[in-house]
Amino acid sequence: MTSKPIISITDLNKTFPGPDKAPEVIAVKDVTVDIYQGEVVVVIGPSGAGKSTLLRCLNGLEDFDSGSIIIDNIPLNHHHKNRLEIRKEVGMVFQSFNLFPHMTVRENIGLAVRRVRKKSVLECEKITAGLLEKVGITDKIDSYPSQLSGGQQQRVAIARALAMNPKVMLFDEATSALDPEMISEVLDVMKNLAKDGMTMVVVTHEMGFAREAGSRILFMDNGEIVEDRKVEDFFLDPNEDRSKAFLSKVI
Amino acid sequence: MILVRKEIFIDSIKYLLFLGVVITIIFLSSANMNYNWQWYRVPGYIIFRSADGALIPGRLLTGLVLTVKISVISLVLAFFIGMITALFRLSSSFTAKLVARIYLELIRNTPLLIQLFVIYFVISPVFNINPFISAVLALSLFEGAYASEIIRGGITAISKGQWESAYSLGLNTIDTYRFILLPQTLKQVLPPLTGQAVSLIKDSALVSTIAIFDLTMAGQSIISETFLTFEIWFTVALIYLLMTVSISTFVHRLEKRSRYDQ
Repeated sequence: MTSKPIISITDLNKTFPGPDKAPEVIAVKDVTVDIYQGEVVVVIGPSGAGKSTLLRCLNGLEDFDSGSIIIDNIPLNHHHKNRLEIRKEVGMVFQSFNLFPHMTVRENIGLAVRRVRKKSVLECEKITAGLLEKVGITDKIDSYPSQLSGGQQQRVAIARALAMNPKVMLFDEATSALDPEMISEVLDVMKNLAKDGMTMVVVTHEMGFAREAGSRILFMDNGEIVEDRKVEDFFLDPNEDRSKAFLSKVI
Repeated sequence: MILVRKEIFIDSIKYLLFLGVVITIIFLSSANMNYNWQWYRVPGYIIFRSADGALIPGRLLTGLVLTVKISVISLVLAFFIGMITALFRLSSSFTAKLVARIYLELIRNTPLLIQLFVIYFVISPVFNINPFISAVLALSLFEGAYASEIIRGGITAISKGQWESAYSLGLNTIDTYRFILLPQTLKQVLPPLTGQAVSLIKDSALVSTIAIFDLTMAGQSIISETFLTFEIWFTVALIYLLMTVSISTFVHRLEKRSRYDQ
């Protein structure tokens, strides 16, 4: 492990305004975490624990109230240039795929490569072909998202994020919207990515994935990180009562 | 099969009954007025042959050409005004929002006829613009306000996920609109915008009040000379109907062909 973390979160706090003068809802509370190059950090916990909010703070999709986030030496603040740089370097995969429905697979993957990374058409074609091979759907390059299954759409979404050549990949419950028989094809792609050494932060309910591909577990509850452990240690011997209770329910 | 035939039969009977009632009413009213039908004179006002044999467009056709011209130019302008206003309203700038808001309230809460008069009698002398431009300006400003609400609705209807994935890919706001949001919006708002285009063509009849020889004005002038009241107004109405129906049909076809989802 290198000494300098690629993601450094310090004292992060985030609240959402409550409905109609109700007290605000605490989503993330005093979170301090360092994530290093090549780690696969799996964030688990009961629903409403703040996992997705924490993830969405990491690329600026949600603003946070206090604390700091530094990604690859760039602080995530209100400087437009910093934000843009972080958005380029952090790829994200969503629960609902969010492919662009009016574009083919080729165009979905190529758009940001051409417009943001300013690659030539030729380079872009090469990147697209390579990534589609990696996620196993070379024959669908000219299909529209509506012509693909959920699993295929999510794999295209992963390829689209990877096409930007990001330093970090965020997965926000990437398999939760999938039919059961399609979950494994997406998880396989994610596992391969982990093997290739990609730094990943994964919010998921798939404990099998966490065990097999994860290097570290963050167990969250009520916005706090309750446990931050190596995967093996966490599953064998959880420290906290809350983690034990959660594990007994999901396994 | 038999059932379908029976339905068609009943439908035809209904249609004939309806037609019969309409014709009876027209016949009765014209009989009451001792109206002298002279349909044979109408074609000459659309197109006629001069003494040396050349085809010359009649007044109705000339008026129609002007109506089409005004409508097409206004339609294009209204679309751009609508688009810009919609983007202004959705922007984070307070000034842009305010400007869009004032424009919308002003246009939607005053009659088009008054707007036309204000532009023609108040604004056009100041800037020395001709009636044609006044007409186009009034119509496009008016329809643009309604188009902007349609477009804004279309943009906000696109799921938040599209914004978020564009954002996470590092696309800037302009590219997000250009490649992600607007193409999807346009498809969605095409049918309601067609309705607005039909309104524009119909509303264009009002420009006859500011000395523009459009289709309506041509009809009026012919009637004042010939007293062919029924024939000319029926013909004018039919021409408007043909224009609007063909637009709706064309867009409907276009829509069917460019379907990428479902």
